[in-house]
Amino acid sequence: MKRQLERLLANLFGLVFLGLSFLVTIETLLRKAFNFSLQGAAELGGYALAVGSAIGFALAITSRSHIRVDVFHERFPRALQAFMNWLSAVSLGALGLFLVGVCWRVVVKTLEYGSSAQTPWATPLIYPQSVWYAALVAFAIYAVIHAGHASRLYFTGQREALLVEFHPKSAKEELKEELDDLAHRTEAGARVQA
Amino acid sequence: MSTLAFSLTFLLMILLMLLGLPIAVSMVLVGAGAGVIVFGVPFLSTTGAMLWGVLNDNLLTAAPLFILLGELLLRSGMADRMYGAMAAWLSRLPGGLLHTNIACCALFAATSGSSVATAATIGTVALPSLHQRKYPMPQALGTLAAGGTLGILIPPSINMIVYGSLTENSIGKLFIAGVIPGLLLTGLFMLFVLINSSLKGNVPREVLPPLAERLRLTVHLIPPIVIFGIVMGSLYTGVATATESAALGVVVALFFAWRAKRLSWSMLETCFLQTARTTGMIMLILAAAFVLNLLISLSGVAETMTKAVTALGPSATAMLLVLILFYLALGMFMDVMSMLVATVPITYPIVTALGVDPIWFGIFIILMCELALITPPVGMNLFVVQGVRPDRGGIGDVISGSLPFVAIMMAFTLLLMVFPAIVTWLPGKM
Repeated sequence: MKRQLERLLANLFGLVFLGLSFLVTIETLLRKAFNFSLQGAAELGGYALAVGSAIGFALAITSRSHIRVDVFHERFPRALQAFMNWLSAVSLGALGLFLVGVCWRVVVKTLEYGSSAQTPWATPLIYPQSVWYAALVAFAIYAVIHAGHASRLYFTGQREALLVEFHPKSAKEELKEELDDLAHRTEAGARVQA
Repeated sequence: MSTLAFSLTFLLMILLMLLGLPIAVSMVLVGAGAGVIVFGVPFLSTTGAMLWGVLNDNLLTAAPLFILLGELLLRSGMADRMYGAMAAWLSRLPGGLLHTNIACCALFAATSGSSVATAATIGTVALPSLHQRKYPMPQALGTLAAGGTLGILIPPSINMIVYGSLTENSIGKLFIAGVIPGLLLTGLFMLFVLINSSLKGNVPREVLPPLAERLRLTVHLIPPIVIFGIVMGSLYTGVATATESAALGVVVALFFAWRAKRLSWSMLETCFLQTARTTGMIMLILAAAFVLNLLISLSGVAETMTKAVTALGPSATAMLLVLILFYLALGMFMDVMSMLVATVPITYPIVTALGVDPIWFGIFIILMCELALITPPVGMNLFVVQGVRPDRGGIGDVISGSLPFVAIMMAFTLLLMVFPAIVTWLPGKM
């Protein structure tokens, strides 16, 4: 279920940026060749980034991609490592709630003033901002669930699980992922040749 | 906010980072915490508006697009075949395949944007045969570790996008500024291998394959070179912005992947997921850095510190030398991207007040990041290269093999200080 949801979000993210690439390419070529501008590719690019970033924040949690310095962490006693892993997960949850809190005022102000974008389209900002805000809320929920899972492990004394599942990502792990992908690619390459 | 108070705040942030809290959390906690103490709750409402401004900035859309471009080149396997093609041309030089290591790492890292993927791919292809042909292992490992760092200097570079965004400098100019130093540093690395091998006389040269074979292999260099040409060409001539050039690159990469019959939905899904994760990681750190930036600009601490430093009367050169030591020390413990975002908001105003060119300083920072990638104890590339070696040597081999390249990078940084035009000439022509 979780994996399917992530896949869905990642594909949504990818298709948005793929679509954006085609749109921007067409816009750039038209502008260069016919001096004609679609106007709006840049604006859409900004909205895509805002929403895409929030989706990315969430997806980076599961892969433990949010960077933590592990040089000292590795040398901590295991109890302290487990504590820091728990604290990190909880702090990301808190960060999610913080973003949802401070960005709420942005959305409220946009509604109050009925602001629209300073662009040729003059898009009412509430449209892109609502989607962006919804994505931020999704990130916060995701981060809080993650923190809850870490807390359950921490307070039920499942330290080992905490050390495995919430450890900062090491160069070794990243390397393993890349080596796996390389093996996969080589196989796919051989299939194409055959 | 006094300089002392800010310095303590900054130290607290570094401490939280070193304790192992997520980098983004450490920056937001300290930035927003100090902001609320100094300015009260209104600081938070400014923070919200600022966050929307940063996250919806189309200039930064270049970041996910370049990451996607790198993923497409990497996951479609297009970049994997570069080694054979490079080897066909370069391995005749004294030092043989070591030159191929450097050149290939430079090209691979520049296109894929990932030094881990570079070391994994090139290392897996190169190291077994280097081992078999009895190349000295430390040197072979050193060329791979050092070669992999060239990717963030040779555009497109996500680190440059982040620097450009934090300091409000043109990303296009930064990319163009990286070209000559990138090529020059690659050349210097190869020159070192050439001289070192000639002096020692124990490194085998390889036999040059026949011309027809060489040309056949060169086909594999076409996609990365065409894409690089389109991206940089459109930027340099002003046809496209950084974001637009990235979009052009993505479309052309899709075409090449389709031509090579490697465009599949599962490949795309991998690219999408990786791009989303990397984008999320970078954008969260960047957003956090902007919270810190907000504190620095509202509290006027940058001006205070700049005044304090300029009152001491150091020359720009002296300041840069101090910064080299500072970054060397910090780079020993911190991850490269974190080091960049946590320090640039402070060092940038000071250095530019002393008259250093903003674009030049960007390249300087990138060089400091490169150094951090191969200086122990946490130089990421050292561990990654160690992880792919086929024999059972210790990490000491990788470190000793990389040391000459550390020295070359340091000397190169000094060279850029003496001749800043190496960096500033090409972007000045735009």
